[in-house]
Formats: sequence, C-alpha cells, structure tokens
Amino acid sequence: MALTGYHRPATVDEAVALLAADAEAKPIAGGATLVAMLNARVIEPPALVSLAGIAELQGLSAAAGGGVRIGAFTRHRDTAASPLLVGTLAVVRDAAGQIANATVRNMGTIGGSIAFADPGLDYPPALVAAGAEVEIAGPDGRRRVPAAGFFIDWYTTALQPGEIVIAVHLPPADALGTGLYVKHARVAGDYATASVAICRRADCAVSVAVGGCGPAPLASAEANALLSAGTGDDIIARAGALLQALADPLDDVRGSADYRRALIPRLLQRALRQAEAAPEARA
Amino acid sequence: MNLELQINGETARVEAGQHDTLLTVLRDQLQLQAAKRGCNQGVCGVCTVQVDGWPARACLSLAHGCAGAQVRTLEGLHHTPAMQALQRAFTEAGAFQCGFCTPGMLVAAEALLAREPAPDAAAVKAALSGNLCRCTGYLKIVEAVQAAAAALRQGASA
Repeated sequence: MALTGYHRPATVDEAVALLAADAEAKPIAGGATLVAMLNARVIEPPALVSLAGIAELQGLSAAAGGGVRIGAFTRHRDTAASPLLVGTLAVVRDAAGQIANATVRNMGTIGGSIAFADPGLDYPPALVAAGAEVEIAGPDGRRRVPAAGFFIDWYTTALQPGEIVIAVHLPPADALGTGLYVKHARVAGDYATASVAICRRADCAVSVAVGGCGPAPLASAEANALLSAGTGDDIIARAGALLQALADPLDDVRGSADYRRALIPRLLQRALRQAEAAPEARA
Repeated sequence: MNLELQINGETARVEAGQHDTLLTVLRDQLQLQAAKRGCNQGVCGVCTVQVDGWPARACLSLAHGCAGAQVRTLEGLHHTPAMQALQRAFTEAGAFQCGFCTPGMLVAAEALLAREPAPDAAAVKAALSGNLCRCTGYLKIVEAVQAAAAALRQGASA
C-alpha cells in the first residue's frame, strides 16, 4: 500500500503501522538533518511520519530503578539543561550542550540524532561511555539494545526497516562520580573531529568512549580497566594506544585519519584530568 | 489551502506539500520575507524565526510540522520592547556591514532578551552561535545586544 503526505500519529503503535504500510515512508523527528536532506533533494520520501505528536516520546524522567529515561523526541536543549543528569550521567548533558548551536539544539532530538548515526555526532560516544540502552519499536514489537551494539557502521545502526527509536535508558548515576565530554572541532558548532566521553565513578572506575574516529564509537574494556587502576601519564598513553588501535578514521575536511588518531590520547588525557579536577571528584 | 498555521498571532491558510518548509511558505505564499533563504541547510541562521518562543531554523522546519505552534517572524516581533531596543542599539553600534544576517540576529537576540535580561558577552555569543555574519562584524553585534539589554533594564527601572 502506498502512503503519501504528512502524518502525525498520536501513539507509537500508529507510527509503526504507518511506517509498515510503505517501505519508502520516513519517520521524522526534529528535522535538523532530514529536512536539510529534503532541501538538497538527497531523499524524496513520498510520505513523512512525524513523531512530534507522541506523548510517550517526550522528555526526560527518573526511572523506577534509579536510572533516567530520555524519550526519543526530547530536544537537545532539554537534555542539556536536565537536573536529572548528574554525577556520571552528566556526560550525556555535557554532550547535548555541545551539539551544533543553540538554535539547532531547540530543534534536534536524541532519537533523530542517534538514528542518523553520523560518526561525528556527540551523543554516540556519551551513550556508550554511560552504558546506555536504546529502546526500539517496530513491527515485531519492542526491544532494547546496548548503545555499544546500536552503532554498527557508517550511518548504520541496529534499527531494522520499519523500526524507530523510542527512548534512551541510562543506568543509575553515581552521584559522587563525574561525567564529561571533551570535543575537538574546527569551530564551535561543527561536528567533532574527534571527541572523548568519560564517566568516572567515585570509586575511580572509568568508562571512556571515543567519537569521530571510526564508523562507531570506540571503547575498550582493557583501556577502561587500565584507567580504573590508575591515571598516570604512562597509563593514559597505554590506554590511548589501545583505543588508537581500534580507530578507523576518515580522511576528510575536518582532519586526516592520522591527525584524528593522534588526537585520541591527547583528548583522553584532557578528559581524565578534567574529571579528576571536577568538584564532585574533590568532594 | 490544506494547512492552517499561526503566524504572528494570526491564522494563515496555506497550501503545503509534505516536503515544503516553513521558510518556503513564509516567503513564497505569505510574502513575509524578513527571514532569508541563505544556505537552506540549517547552517547560516539567516532564516531564524521563533517557534513557541524559541529560535528555530525556518529552512529546517517543515510547514506541516508547525501546525499548532505559534510562529513569530521579524515582521511580527517589531512591536516588542526588546526588538525596539535591539533595532535602536544595532543602529547606534553600527552592528551591520552588508546587513544580510541582521534579521536572523535580531530574531535570535529577541528570544534571548525575553529570557535573560542581563546576558553577559558569553551568553550573547552562545545564543547567536547559530547565526553567521560573513562580514565578521560579531563584536559590534554582541555589543549591541548587551546595550539593548541595558537600555531595557534602565527603561524597566525608570
């Protein structure tokens, strides 16, 4: 059945049913990327299914088990200002506040951002470092995927045809820990050339992920174990080398592949020193 | 006419396909041409309008996506005290060279002053960081926004 025009369903089930009706139909959230592609005639979907009217996708909320749920339609502006994202979870707030510019943060959504999965985006490494899960709905029902398994390849996620992102689920924060995001970009508001997201718990357990240096965020259990045991310059260099070995960066206008690899240990060092100096860490 | 929008406090009936942007509707159907078509991909900020009080890219907003929202363009903001103070301050500071970016700067700055009566330079720069001035006249623009804020505060206390 061919679907045409603009649709604004009120529930997830209706949205999934509309998208199932026509494989060419596209879901649209904030539009910050999709409408630019429409304007450039990169895509011309016969039907658009807006997710703006679905109450379940809106806003941040404290989850029963102590974590935080971010609805897929939550704007970057709201995530960047959320008082729920404290301690280790501040990594997500910090990343949200560094996306593009204030006007685009009024428009873009977390679900739209991660479904697009540009390698230079700010959320992917932050969600991997935070141990987030992505909740997905589709014709076969709902499922959850760890962020580390959601980002698969260049602009490719675990989403199957007809599926949409419903929410991002964050584990309980360590309120005495620290989370932050260090982004290196050519100018304010650009995509990251390379970036490091870090969560450091009060017991010094560290989780890091690197953005902009391959098709998906880089993370290494071995590097995390090293950095959790100590943060001397030599240890950071060893952890940085482990992450560099996982990198598969592009040569593009934002930087050469070699430049991006060289940034990894330097941004890692900066992120760790900032985490150690953060007020929560000193308390 | 297949779509009703709330533009500058009035109901506007327009014809829009699912790919048509708010910018296209404003400029080509409603003859509201303060918002310019610059890059048409969300980079330059010259199409900035306010949607429910927040700055937004008209070029990245689908017309159908704005149904039910209050849209304000520069044409619909010129009565506000903040806009009048901004226009005076931009003139006095010489905060333009070619002037092409000015409409977007004013709309974004108006939304800032509606929320923050005393923004420091960093707050002004953050609020205008999505608005490019290819003449690079940023210093005077930031000064003008702060001068407008000061004039508004003085007016409020007088």
